[in-house]
Amino acid sequence: MALIEVKNLEKIYGDGDVTTPALRDISFNIESGEFIAVMGPSGSGKSTLLHILGFLDRQTSGVYRFGGKTIDDYSKDEIAHVRNKKMGFVFQAFNLLPRATVLENVKLPLVYSGIKQAEWDAMATDVIKSVGLLKRIKHEPSQLSGGERQKVAIARALVNNPNVIFLDEPTGNLDSKSGRTVMEIIQELSEEEKRTIILITHEESTAEYAKRTIHLFDGRVVSDEKVKYQRAARDFVK
Amino acid sequence: MNFRYTFKTSFTSLIANKSRSALTILGIVIGITAIMVIVSVGNGAESLILGEISGMGAQSIVIRPGKQPKGPSDMAGTLYSDSLKPRDVAALKKKSNVPYLVNVAPAVIVPGSVSYGGETYIPMIFGWTANMMSEMLNLYPAEGINFGENAIRDKASVAVIGSKVKKELFGGSSALGKKIKIKNKKFRVIGVYPPRGQVAFFNVDEVVIVPYTTAMTYLLGISHYNEIIVRAKNPEVVARTVNDIEATIRETHGITDPADDDFFVVTQKGMVNQIKNIMGVLTAFLSAVVAISLVVGGIGVMNIMLVSVTERTREIGLRKAIGATDGDILRQFLVESVILTALGGIIGIALGTVFSLLTSFILTHYLDLNWSFSFPFLAVVLGIAVSAFVGLIFGIYPARQAAKKNPIEALRYE
Ligand SMILES: Nc1ncnc2c1ncn2[C@@H]1O[C@H](COP(=O)(O)OP(=O)(O)OP(=O)(O)O)[C@@H](O)[C@H]1O
Ligand SMILES: [Mg+2]
Repeated sequence: MALIEVKNLEKIYGDGDVTTPALRDISFNIESGEFIAVMGPSGSGKSTLLHILGFLDRQTSGVYRFGGKTIDDYSKDEIAHVRNKKMGFVFQAFNLLPRATVLENVKLPLVYSGIKQAEWDAMATDVIKSVGLLKRIKHEPSQLSGGERQKVAIARALVNNPNVIFLDEPTGNLDSKSGRTVMEIIQELSEEEKRTIILITHEESTAEYAKRTIHLFDGRVVSDEKVKYQRAARDFVK
Repeated sequence: MNFRYTFKTSFTSLIANKSRSALTILGIVIGITAIMVIVSVGNGAESLILGEISGMGAQSIVIRPGKQPKGPSDMAGTLYSDSLKPRDVAALKKKSNVPYLVNVAPAVIVPGSVSYGGETYIPMIFGWTANMMSEMLNLYPAEGINFGENAIRDKASVAVIGSKVKKELFGGSSALGKKIKIKNKKFRVIGVYPPRGQVAFFNVDEVVIVPYTTAMTYLLGISHYNEIIVRAKNPEVVARTVNDIEATIRETHGITDPADDDFFVVTQKGMVNQIKNIMGVLTAFLSAVVAISLVVGGIGVMNIMLVSVTERTREIGLRKAIGATDGDILRQFLVESVILTALGGIIGIALGTVFSLLTSFILTHYLDLNWSFSFPFLAVVLGIAVSAFVGLIFGIYPARQAAKKNPIEALRYE
């Protein structure tokens, strides 16, 4: 059984006269441990798809199963729990709390995890260290560069040790050098920790770090193929 | 979600909007301050008045002319009514009429001043019997003696004076045997009371007591009394004695229907009940005003919490996206509004205490009242509980608005 099963998925925004079909008849499976890049031009439905996969939104029709279960198999609180424990989300627009420090931002998922408060700081500090931001731990987002903010968002997505990590354009706002350091972190998560990674990008070069790419156009899957020559981010940094 | 974390987050967010938070809780602060002051001053006033009343003694019964006053404006009527006459006292003295009466004394009030040599002083001058004064207040002359039955019968020009009157007129020298002047009539001082202060609505130190017969004939030119004071044998027979007094005076006045009474009877117990009633009504009324101010304050809090929920839509969306349940968000905002109002409550209690202390300071130091400040613990507990409750009630609606938000729409909110 695949970790993620998507069958004939449709999403239509709005109702009545003005409707926008954002996703049409999408089907694919994702196994645990895969590293997938979702590509497509602006407005092709990438973010919409990711939100549905992350249980943040509901499809209009079709089936989406995560670990064999649909969103309707869960209560509202159970969905919150799945989002908290099994999924990590890195949003297109970082979405950090502006007046909270790096540490406090990264701690946020722990607050809702049921883990004892005494352990929060150590756990958060660990992931902050792993993304290389230990020196900025007391900074607020306004005092960070774009790349650093993106790393905070990644650290926050990782702090609860989720199996699946969704990233919406993690390098979209970054220059190529900081983009590469971010990709290095992501690739490591895939290679060394065997996490399932679903990453949105519209850059061909970024997609090449993944193992598989799914192309969307106008809400439809136009191609779904293995990456022939996967790029290694680490080499470029060196 | 962990309570300590919720508390800290809420507190931080309130601190981040200091002036807004402060303005928001102003209504609550005023409401709770008012509760504190009302309870504290109310308690003080009640114990002051009850203290004064207890000064007249449980056995004392006061008969006044006229109708029972319905309020302060009615009071004057009793002074001008001339329904109490010597025949009433004569009837009361009959053992068969009022068996438990041990002493009876008419009283008249003499407006005016008293002078000696170049000194003039405005005391409280009563035409009374000195032994009733002493019996009622358990106060006997420190120097000299009381005047007795003979002085009353002979309309003697003698006076017993309070310690302050003595000091004002004579300074350090002796007053006994000296002639003081009231309305151009000379009275010989035969006794001086020791200092006692405020008792039963008058200051004993400021009195001049002269025989009521003398006062009525030479000072006032009247033949009726302003009051008749009766002492019952003991507190247990006061109620019965009141009935006997009423029956006796109705008989002498030829009254059959109590509604036509041209006199009324006051006892310590009756006054205490009356005061407690007045205080009860007053407290209820003020509480209603305070309740309204708290409701208005609560609506202010609700308003600001709604603004805060809207402002923090993205934060709410984010928290939900990373695993906060509806309940987590609800609790976060509820805790925030409760902290806000409870803080208002605490400030209100502090301010209320300061105002109450100030009031008691002014009353004791400038008005010379025997006022006692007591810290109203009940009001403190009530104040914090009520303010937190207001936060809870008026926080529910905004908190539910927050909890209801759809995470993805909230994240998209600009
Ligand atoms: N809340 C919404 N209401 C109506 N239409 C929407 C809404 N969100 C997205 N859409 C529409 O759905 C389509 C897909 O949007 P989506 O955000 O998924 O695109 P995207 O591929 O992520 O684009 P980008 O690369 O610019 O982020 C677009 O046409 C967009 O206008
Ligand atoms: Mg997008």
